Amino acid sequence: MKRLRTIVIEVFKWTYLLFFFAIAVLPLLWLILTSFKTEAEFNTAPLAMPEFWQFENYINAVSVANMHVLFMNSIIIATTATLLNLLVTSLASFVVSREEFAFKQTISNVIVAGVLMPIVAFMVPYLAIIRNLGLYDTRMALIVTYAAINIPISFFLIKSFMVNIPKDLEDAAIIDGCTFAQRYTKVVLPLSRSGLVTAGTLTFIWSWNEFIYALLLTSSSSVRTIQLGISFFTTQFRSDYPSMYAAVVLTMIPSIIVYVFFHDKIISGLTAGAVKG
Amino acid sequence: MLVKNKNWKWIIIFMLPLAAMYITFFIYPFGFVFVSSLMKWNGISPMEFIGFQNYAKLFRATTLQISVRNNVIWALSLGFLQIGLATIIAFILARRPRFWKSLRTVYFIPKVISGVAIAMLWKAVYNAEYGALNAVLSLITGQEWSHNWLGEFATALPAIIAQEVMYIGYFMIIILAGVMSIPTSYYEAAEIDGASVWQQETLITLPVVWGIIVTAMTLAMAYGLRHFEATFLMTGGGPGHSTSTLALMMYDKIGARKLGQASTIGTILVIVGFIVIVTLNQTLGRKSLTGEDQ
Repeated sequence: MKRLRTIVIEVFKWTYLLFFFAIAVLPLLWLILTSFKTEAEFNTAPLAMPEFWQFENYINAVSVANMHVLFMNSIIIATTATLLNLLVTSLASFVVSREEFAFKQTISNVIVAGVLMPIVAFMVPYLAIIRNLGLYDTRMALIVTYAAINIPISFFLIKSFMVNIPKDLEDAAIIDGCTFAQRYTKVVLPLSRSGLVTAGTLTFIWSWNEFIYALLLTSSSSVRTIQLGISFFTTQFRSDYPSMYAAVVLTMIPSIIVYVFFHDKIISGLTAGAVKG
Repeated sequence: MLVKNKNWKWIIIFMLPLAAMYITFFIYPFGFVFVSSLMKWNGISPMEFIGFQNYAKLFRATTLQISVRNNVIWALSLGFLQIGLATIIAFILARRPRFWKSLRTVYFIPKVISGVAIAMLWKAVYNAEYGALNAVLSLITGQEWSHNWLGEFATALPAIIAQEVMYIGYFMIIILAGVMSIPTSYYEAAEIDGASVWQQETLITLPVVWGIIVTAMTLAMAYGLRHFEATFLMTGGGPGHSTSTLALMMYDKIGARKLGQASTIGTILVIVGFIVIVTLNQTLGRKSLTGEDQ
């Protein structure tokens, strides 16, 4: 009786786990398979394997969608936003974690509380701010916006990391004649590499994937990001859906590469906030 | 005190860039959205103060009622259904079954892919003519399925919500981290006392990670209330306005150059989000949302 129960529980458990595994993987695999099909095959046999693998779809994708422009813009925007975000948050985290001053805790709490802001609700203000700064329809508009939106999470991660660096190291550096700025550049920053990588990975992926503000703050195709580009694919590709899906698959590759290399960082970064509480 | 610290000049210099950006993108917009919600404004000519007329006008609009209803459905689906599903996965994985690490990594994959790509993917899956869902259902049932999942009133909203609810990766990881931080000695002791697995999970795991689950629910509900992307990309709010949400309405108002009204919706989003966060934390348990000791 007890054996039977264990078997039933095991079956239920694995069915459940595999169902969500399938949900996470199968639609993606289907899209990848579809991206190698001919248009005729795509229309008649949606579930079949491609009879002849159409690598041309990928060549079509690159030429029709102007992929190189879209990729270049996204790389420039996501990378610069990440670097700007890390610079700004690491400077502040350094001061907050290593120095004593008035309202330090309050300032820190207010910054971190920013993660709760419904950023979507700020469409009108952001549009107004970006226009007033003269940045509308530029890459800089998205760089600044993305760097700013990710301040709370990066600040939280980097600060939690810096707090744990022993004070002795800095004291020794001060005796050796380190200035205030050198304590940041030569002692604390190199030791916080792991925290910076976690915050940077999260900011990069977020910026790479962002859609709403790319849609709102840019309009011309020369500064368009890859995500905004995808949303125009339906009109660009007319009815050549397999090529369109090839383009969509191409846009997923960078995020997946980053995830493959940094999934431990991403997972630890996301859990840091939850577990500590 | 700042003045007592001999490095005060450095402290100001180091804080300044973050302060400037935080004020510009978090504090100023917060005030701006409230103030402009009381204005008649097309974005070009100067604002004109009209009191609460924007609110009065919006509350009479049927689209607003539909949107609010949809946002509530979104918040409840994500807050209870998604978190429920994610919690079960987290509890199972925390017992370290075979492949648990790989499973954890795979469950999270959809969350690193952009929402736009995911929306394109599900638009294809749900398509009436060539979609995978109809093909799979035909295969299983032996009958011809040709639902236009995103085009029909009855199925459009459930279809968009379903694809989002089933991607449990993000919350699963947060809850799992909480469960894994429980010392194994608790379970060993319970085992000796003869507690079944079910008793261990409900009497040890659940109470210990309850705070994290409430945090996850709060976040999920907040996401549901501000939902925009998948709907915008998959149905654009249609058919009719049946899948519209507040954020979608706000975007449409911006397109129509009614920036004052758009801000009104923005203000509603901020306030409702705040209410949800506070009530959930008050009723279901107290837990600092950021994980900071306060």
